[in-house]
Amino acid sequence: MSYAYLFKYIIIGDTGVGKSCLLLQFTDKRFQPVHDLTIGVEFGARMITIDSKQIKLQIWDTAGQEAFRSITRSYYRGAAGALLVYDITRRETFNHLTTWLDDARQHSNSNMVIMLIGNKSDLESRREVKKEEGEAFAREHGLVFMETSAKTAANVEEAFINTAKEIYEKIQEGVFDINNEANGIKIGPQHSPTNPSLPGSGGAGGSQGSGCC
Amino acid sequence: MEYFRSGLKSVLGTTTPGNQPTGAEIVERLVSRVSTSTLLEDRRDACRALKALSKKYRLEVGAQGMDILKQVLELDRSDCEIIGYCLDTLCNITSKDTFEEESENNINMQVNVGEQFTEMFLKNPENVTLILTFLEEYDFRVRWPAIRLMTSLVCSKPKDVQDIILVSPMGVSKLMDLLLENREVIRNDALLLLINLTKSNANIQKIVAFENAFDRLFDIIKDEGWTDGGIVVEDCLLLMLNLLKNNNSNINFFQEGAYLQKISPMFELPPNLEEVGWSPQKVSNFLCVLQLVRTVVSPNNSAQIITACQKTMRNANLLEALSNILMASGVPADILTETINAVGEVIRGNLTNQEYFANVLAPSNPPRPAIVVLLMSMVNEKQPFTLRCAVLYCFECFLFKNEIGQELVVQTLLPSNAGVSNLSMGQILCSGIFSKDHLSNWFSAVALSHCLIENPAQKEQLLRVLLATSLGAQPVSLLHQSAVFLQHTSKLQAKLGILMLLAQWMAHSPEAVKVFLNVPGSMAYLTAQTSASEFDNNEELLQGLCAFLMGLCVLYNDNSVPNYSKENLSQLIEKRVGIDTYCKKLVEISRHEVYAKAAKQPQIKSKHSSELLLEFEFCKLLKTLEGVIIQALGVQRDLSNGMSELSLNEHENALLLQYKELIRDQDKKLQDMQKSMNNMHKTTQGLETQIKELQETNTQLIDQNTLLKAQLAVNPSNVTNGPQIIESIKPLSSSIESSLLERVKTLEIERDEAKKEIERIRKDQDDLLELLTDQDLKLNTFKQRLRDLGETIDDDDSDNDNNSDGLENES
Ligand SMILES: Nc1nc2c(ncn2[C@@H]2O[C@H](COP(=O)(O)OP(=O)(O)O)[C@@H](O)[C@H]2O)c(=O)[nH]1
Ligand SMILES: [Mg+2]
Repeated sequence: MSYAYLFKYIIIGDTGVGKSCLLLQFTDKRFQPVHDLTIGVEFGARMITIDSKQIKLQIWDTAGQEAFRSITRSYYRGAAGALLVYDITRRETFNHLTTWLDDARQHSNSNMVIMLIGNKSDLESRREVKKEEGEAFAREHGLVFMETSAKTAANVEEAFINTAKEIYEKIQEGVFDINNEANGIKIGPQHSPTNPSLPGSGGAGGSQGSGCC
Repeated sequence: MEYFRSGLKSVLGTTTPGNQPTGAEIVERLVSRVSTSTLLEDRRDACRALKALSKKYRLEVGAQGMDILKQVLELDRSDCEIIGYCLDTLCNITSKDTFEEESENNINMQVNVGEQFTEMFLKNPENVTLILTFLEEYDFRVRWPAIRLMTSLVCSKPKDVQDIILVSPMGVSKLMDLLLENREVIRNDALLLLINLTKSNANIQKIVAFENAFDRLFDIIKDEGWTDGGIVVEDCLLLMLNLLKNNNSNINFFQEGAYLQKISPMFELPPNLEEVGWSPQKVSNFLCVLQLVRTVVSPNNSAQIITACQKTMRNANLLEALSNILMASGVPADILTETINAVGEVIRGNLTNQEYFANVLAPSNPPRPAIVVLLMSMVNEKQPFTLRCAVLYCFECFLFKNEIGQELVVQTLLPSNAGVSNLSMGQILCSGIFSKDHLSNWFSAVALSHCLIENPAQKEQLLRVLLATSLGAQPVSLLHQSAVFLQHTSKLQAKLGILMLLAQWMAHSPEAVKVFLNVPGSMAYLTAQTSASEFDNNEELLQGLCAFLMGLCVLYNDNSVPNYSKENLSQLIEKRVGIDTYCKKLVEISRHEVYAKAAKQPQIKSKHSSELLLEFEFCKLLKTLEGVIIQALGVQRDLSNGMSELSLNEHENALLLQYKELIRDQDKKLQDMQKSMNNMHKTTQGLETQIKELQETNTQLIDQNTLLKAQLAVNPSNVTNGPQIIESIKPLSSSIESSLLERVKTLEIERDEAKKEIERIRKDQDDLLELLTDQDLKLNTFKQRLRDLGETIDDDDSDNDNNSDGLENES
């Protein structure tokens, strides 16, 4: 139950790219071939370990439809990380990335870590966006990049964990103001907030950390 | 008034004596002063004066001043004082409430002026965005009235404001920041604003939760002294309730974020409770916390969420704390009742929690299980009705999906255990079933019936239970005695309770049916009730339940009682009652409004004891077996219509054809219904748009009316023959208005009727679908049987393969 840090994530991207499936695969380790359209925003959580510290991830899944855009915007400010997802079998979802990115950059705090994800890598035969294109886009905009499959679970863990690592490093570098909860980061209950440079103590270690869900 | 006059002189200049200006004239001068003055100080004074007049001359200020006030908000935003006056003024004119000062002036206003002005203000969503920016201003003179203006707008037009806030960037975030305010007035009013803003809007609820609302609120609650705190604590809890009610995503977050653990301390009772007592505020706070618990484990939520929350509650000792309250003394009755309901829902369907609860002991001497003590209250006439209902609900929750618990209760009645203590669960229920208090009869019979749900072993065990009726007489079985009691009691509630118990018992149990058939007079009683032609006062329920029980006797009959074989009974029904009458009586139950109410949720929601008639689990049983009974009677009839063993094959063929015909028939009916449902849908939609249009026209007219009235009040001399015109228009406009209202009303009625019709058709469709499935199954069995008999059958309806590949599914 106890954790050293809590990070808030959001998952964004066009509808149908596999956002809800990625979340389900990460939190429940299962794949649901036919998924309901997400109405508004759904929630999931999981504990991970980085640098032998327990880190709790709280993830808000958003709806990609145009009608929900403004609602999604309300979530940027309070998030520490965002997974920006497109579907490698549908080029238009890749083409819309700039719109998403502009939106995110405009409404989030400047330190939010954005991970670019090309999902459905299991559907190689129907691929419309080359991996190199994703890499190039990420490089150009300063994002981390990965291809995943919510179906086979390939790279799903890595996507969420690498994002957390990135945030964690930023904390170590002192880039994030961890006392400001509006950044989407919380310090664990028994990590005194008056002593934020305490990450080394490791007291929150795994013994009680039996996962969360 | 004099006070105003003298105060206003400096703003308005002196008026010539004897020529007192009207309120409207003053307002007009003030408005023009605001718009023409080049000196900020002048504008400020005029705004202050407008604010002072905005209650008494609300109509005038609103009608003439709205635009100029908005203009000031834009142009003078650097001056906190004038902004404060403007916001206050707008707050007054948009308020949904009427002011004392105002009523003397506008007594005969039909419309809600506040809503009207709110609507005008909201016409431009930018206005709301502007107010939101004022929330960011730290100055008290701006921030506080800005919050109150937002609240006033939300209260007048919740849906509209919610929609605007959702699309304005960071709208909700700005409001959330206000909870961190250290000026309490602001923080408390921000709470009220959020409570109104989050009502029935899942998206806002989620954003508020995302913005750390639960942390903020628990911080405030803690600062204020938990449940001992004032009304602020209650407000915090009400906001939490809004965020969680029917919002699975937020409940998930609440559970996962370890907030349930923070509730536990609120249930700890202070050791000196009896001295300090319960203040009304404490009772309110406490009830809210109990509501909070019930909201997250409500049977309406998804099973996954319920299970997770129940587990957390046990581990966080919340279940323990609740159990302690049950056993504490001096707890007010409404808190006790709600705690019992809460405990029920925390243990419902969760074996570990149920087991925990079974082991809770009451501090009596000797210690008794808490369940026993609760059941004693249930059969005690002196206890409040709602408390007795709560105990039954809690007991049902204890038994829900709990074979061990069911066995525990039944065991206390078995010959080997009986007499060990005369205060066991089973014994309390048994004496309750046959007591003189018919409410106790009902409660106890229903309670006992829950020990038998989906539990064949306990149905059998309970048959072994013997009762000593009178000294020296042979003991009789519990079922026997119940059937006798059914015939003798005159109370409807008692009869219904017993019938529901017998139904749960006899369903799927030929042994129980056998015992029942052997009770003298029982069949005669059922037949007489079922064939009775007149009834009053809910007796149709009694007759329906008797019919149902008769059906169960046919369905679960192993032909071991002479004269009461399956076939005998079917003929009895056909000859004595008539199939049509029988079916009518049977289906009558599920058409009854009492049924609809009971089948809605497991908790008993009756307000008055006379409403206690049917019960949730019984309704479920009825629903599943009703069709099966009707079908069985039909088959039985065909079988007995002189079919010999030899002709069975032929007969089955005929039956098969008959079923095919039936299915085709029903298919067609289904399609027809679907069609007519679609048509209804269209009609309703049409009606709804019409209503909307009419309402819009109406609003416009009212708007115009308001403006006209205000203008008239401002300058009656300008309109030379204004009064006459108005007089001549009045009847016209009021007749237009009333005819519009009438039209709206009829349209609304039509729409409601259409809705009802759709609902009915939908229900029929469901029933038909269910029947269809049953018959499909039957058909297949017959086909299989024919095949087994060597017949070849053309499978004309094997077109059931339309697999779709889910992975390809793209939106
Ligand atoms: N083959 C394959 N299908 C996927 C994958 N991820 C999602 N899908 C499918 O894509 C569709 C949309 O997924 P969903 O998670 O609802 O998308 P969302 O609208 O972004 O939440 C569903 O039919 C999923 O089964 C994946 O990695 N591989
Ligand atoms: Mg989705």
